[in-house]
Amino acid sequence: MSTIKKLIILFFMLFLSLKSFATDIYPFNNPNDTNRFKSLTTELRCLVCQNQNLSESNAPLASDLRQQIYLQIKQGQSDQAIIAYLKARFGNFILYRPPLSLSTIVLWLGPFILLITMISFLIYYIRNTIKD
Amino acid sequence: MKILKILPLGIFFIIIFFLFKGLNLHPDIIPSPLINKPAPLFALPTLDNPKKIVTNHDFLHHITLLNVWASWCTTCADEHEFLIKLAKNTDIILYGFNYKDDLTNAKKWLAEYGNPYQIIVVDQQGLSAIDWGVYGTPETFLIDQQGIVRYKVIGSLTQEKWDRELWPLIKKIQKERT
Amino acid sequence: MLPELGTFALILAFLLALLQCVAPILVLGFKKNHAFFELSLFGSIGQFIFLSFAMLCLMMSFINNDLTVLYIREHSHQLLPFIYRIGAAWGGHEGSFLLWCLVLSTWTLSFILFAKKSLENTFFYRVLMVLGFLSAGFILFLLVTSNPFARDFPTRPLIGDDLTPLLQDPGLLFHPPILYSGYVGFAIGFAVAIAALMEKKFDALTAKILRPWIVLPWAFLGCGIVLGSWWAYRELGWGGWWFWDPVENASLLPWLIATALLHSLIVSEKRNTFKGWTILLAIITFSLSLIGTFLVRSGVLISVHAFASDPTRGLFLLGYLALIMGGALTLYAFRIKFFYVAPRFQLLSRETFLLLNSVFLLTAMATILLGTLYPIILDALDSDKISVGEPYFNTVFLPIILPLLILMAIAPYVHWGEHRLAYLWKKCGFSLFSSLILGFLIPILLGFQWKLLASIGISIGIWIIISTLQFVLQLWKNHQHLNLKYYSMIIAHLGIAIMTLGITINKSYSEERQVTIATNEIVTLAGYRFSFKDLQKENTKNYQSLLVSFTVQKNKGKSNLLFAEQRVYKSHEQTLSKPGILYNAFRDIYVALGGVTANGAWIVRIYYKPCVRWIWFGGFMLLLGGLITLLNYIWPHKEIEKEINA
Repeated sequence: MSTIKKLIILFFMLFLSLKSFATDIYPFNNPNDTNRFKSLTTELRCLVCQNQNLSESNAPLASDLRQQIYLQIKQGQSDQAIIAYLKARFGNFILYRPPLSLSTIVLWLGPFILLITMISFLIYYIRNTIKD
Repeated sequence: MKILKILPLGIFFIIIFFLFKGLNLHPDIIPSPLINKPAPLFALPTLDNPKKIVTNHDFLHHITLLNVWASWCTTCADEHEFLIKLAKNTDIILYGFNYKDDLTNAKKWLAEYGNPYQIIVVDQQGLSAIDWGVYGTPETFLIDQQGIVRYKVIGSLTQEKWDRELWPLIKKIQKERT
Repeated sequence: MLPELGTFALILAFLLALLQCVAPILVLGFKKNHAFFELSLFGSIGQFIFLSFAMLCLMMSFINNDLTVLYIREHSHQLLPFIYRIGAAWGGHEGSFLLWCLVLSTWTLSFILFAKKSLENTFFYRVLMVLGFLSAGFILFLLVTSNPFARDFPTRPLIGDDLTPLLQDPGLLFHPPILYSGYVGFAIGFAVAIAALMEKKFDALTAKILRPWIVLPWAFLGCGIVLGSWWAYRELGWGGWWFWDPVENASLLPWLIATALLHSLIVSEKRNTFKGWTILLAIITFSLSLIGTFLVRSGVLISVHAFASDPTRGLFLLGYLALIMGGALTLYAFRIKFFYVAPRFQLLSRETFLLLNSVFLLTAMATILLGTLYPIILDALDSDKISVGEPYFNTVFLPIILPLLILMAIAPYVHWGEHRLAYLWKKCGFSLFSSLILGFLIPILLGFQWKLLASIGISIGIWIIISTLQFVLQLWKNHQHLNLKYYSMIIAHLGIAIMTLGITINKSYSEERQVTIATNEIVTLAGYRFSFKDLQKENTKNYQSLLVSFTVQKNKGKSNLLFAEQRVYKSHEQTLSKPGILYNAFRDIYVALGGVTANGAWIVRIYYKPCVRWIWFGGFMLLLGGLITLLNYIWPHKEIEKEINA
């Protein structure tokens, strides 16, 4: 089909459709980016709110930061780059997922170690103190 | 199994200790990652003359106090009296950073409350403010003669904060020079 | 006049609580006549009367809109509807703490009415003494730091601040009282544990008597948490039902340990063992309630739910907490040796499974507590300022809770004392395989994208259901199906299974879109078509609202109407967006209004939320399971046995 024909058909379709589609506030070309935007904005904190993430906040700062994240995803920046960008400006406080570092090692490994310790102790205790 | 008897008590003490310490903390004050780093690069127009552009270059060779403010910010009115007084201080130069404001309202506000600033830069979109890590006006940055950010005051700048936090640091910076 | 009466009633309540505590000390410590015990009863009953009266005074003052009382000025307004004036009584810190004290007093009274006859005198009054000590301290805290009746006479005409629009919802009337009935009810278990430590004994009969006093608060707290989750979902506008917010976590912590406690209590009752462990769990449960109430009111954590904070209040509360918990755990350290019973069970046995239940729940609790307090810990150590939020909790909570759910599927078949693996395999093999297959197939059959985690979650949920239903079948075969005592477990476990399915499906297959929509535009999501229909204005006593209706149609099927609302409250021009929700048993369609753009289009958030109601439904089943246990105590087992044998 020639280009002219395609354009004519498109023109008629638009003319004939009674309803048009609403536009996404943060439109992306592929669903992967949409998911990235959603997960990034829910993992980042709104700094002026009482414990809300960037996705759920009405604050102007949150709106500005969402816009920044949107632009950066469209520009092709990776998740790590975007997080590093925000971390450099606002510190670790803006991350709801605390980074793994020396100061957070207890936080990330603690639960696992606690569970293993308790289960090991339980097994040892039952095995070694049974009186027949 | 003696340890099992006092383990709960031990854990309890640790929790209470940290909760006690927690009472004296300020969980809503976020420290700036810019401290002891060069000021973020920026190029912003001034309030009086949109054609005049201010950059990092204008931080050099003197100690700057960059005060982030807006006409819609009610707390800014509280600290403004102190800023007028501070403008007379010869050790620092006071710059204003007008954040996400309407230019007419900003000018009106200054006309009503007075203008303590040597230079006022304007960031209407708030994009440069993101680079500065601004999250809640008013905020004040202390920048030294080499353009390095040395301190950030969150909330109104008061005489008390000046005496306790800023002035000692300013004196220290001046000594570094000589 | 009313506020002053209220304060006076509080003072009297304090003195009576003190009496409730001191009278048994006079008998037990100073060898006074046993008749003095009755003074303790007098103290408890009197305390209840005056606390109720104080609450009534507070409510009346709200109804009268007495703005000279500071607390009322901060939470009320002339236009506030009647029903919310009642709820506003506990809408802030001072009033909600009065509710706390009243609920404690109510539990104490219930304990007198229903448990006194079954317990030995000295034991009973020791419990009352501990409860009196708790009550007296709390009422003193209320009077000294947080008096809801404190006056603040104005120098200019007054307008109330009004109750936050978010709180002007039926949820306010149910969620706090039910939640507090849970939190505070664990004080009874705590007091019994202390009494047991004092008397150096805790027999199977005491465990049996204690059971309803643990199960009922557990059920109320669970119900309170579910109501809170549902309320947040309906009100906040983003379709979320759990946020790992510090205050939410604070309510979950005692619930988790109470779950461990009620399982451990069963062992203490049936096998006369695990006594020391049960006592420790009872102390920990109430301690977590106290830590929770401290976290909410002290300002150490940032939360949407936190009350207005005051460090001096926080200090007083923390000191009192330290006294109670420190005293209890010190007594535990000294006396626990009297409760030690050497284990008489093999590694594979129901006892082990129930201990593992405690291990996993304790780990889950410790993890959530660690995550919630970690920002404070790092800040106190002058390290970084960090945030610990949903990503962390989701990552660490899942691997802890999954093994526990697997244990739940197997546990009903494991015998006391000793068990053989082969026998267990025979019982559980079918349910395991069928649930794995169903978990794999169901997402595909329903047309969803296959995801590994979703399949695992669905498999586990189905496994628990099949396993539990198999158990019912086994009961039927043995003619035990009319025995009420199994049904609390059956219904509670089924409730957890349904919650698991709901959470898994909701988290894996929800969809959302944020759009700007003009009057002639449509949006599609998850096979549904949304178009703007109508705009109506509504005017009530205290707010004006804009009702925007949408037509929702699925795949040329039936059309439904959905109303989303935007309110402006007249008192202080605050806006509130109330989402419109269209629901059936399998999915919610959720639409929340944002603002209006410059060219008249609406900013709208649309959500497709499959199986979200299953989460709360499962939660309510837990409540039902708990109430059935109660039934078992009101309608004793013997009568049912007679019925079966007749």
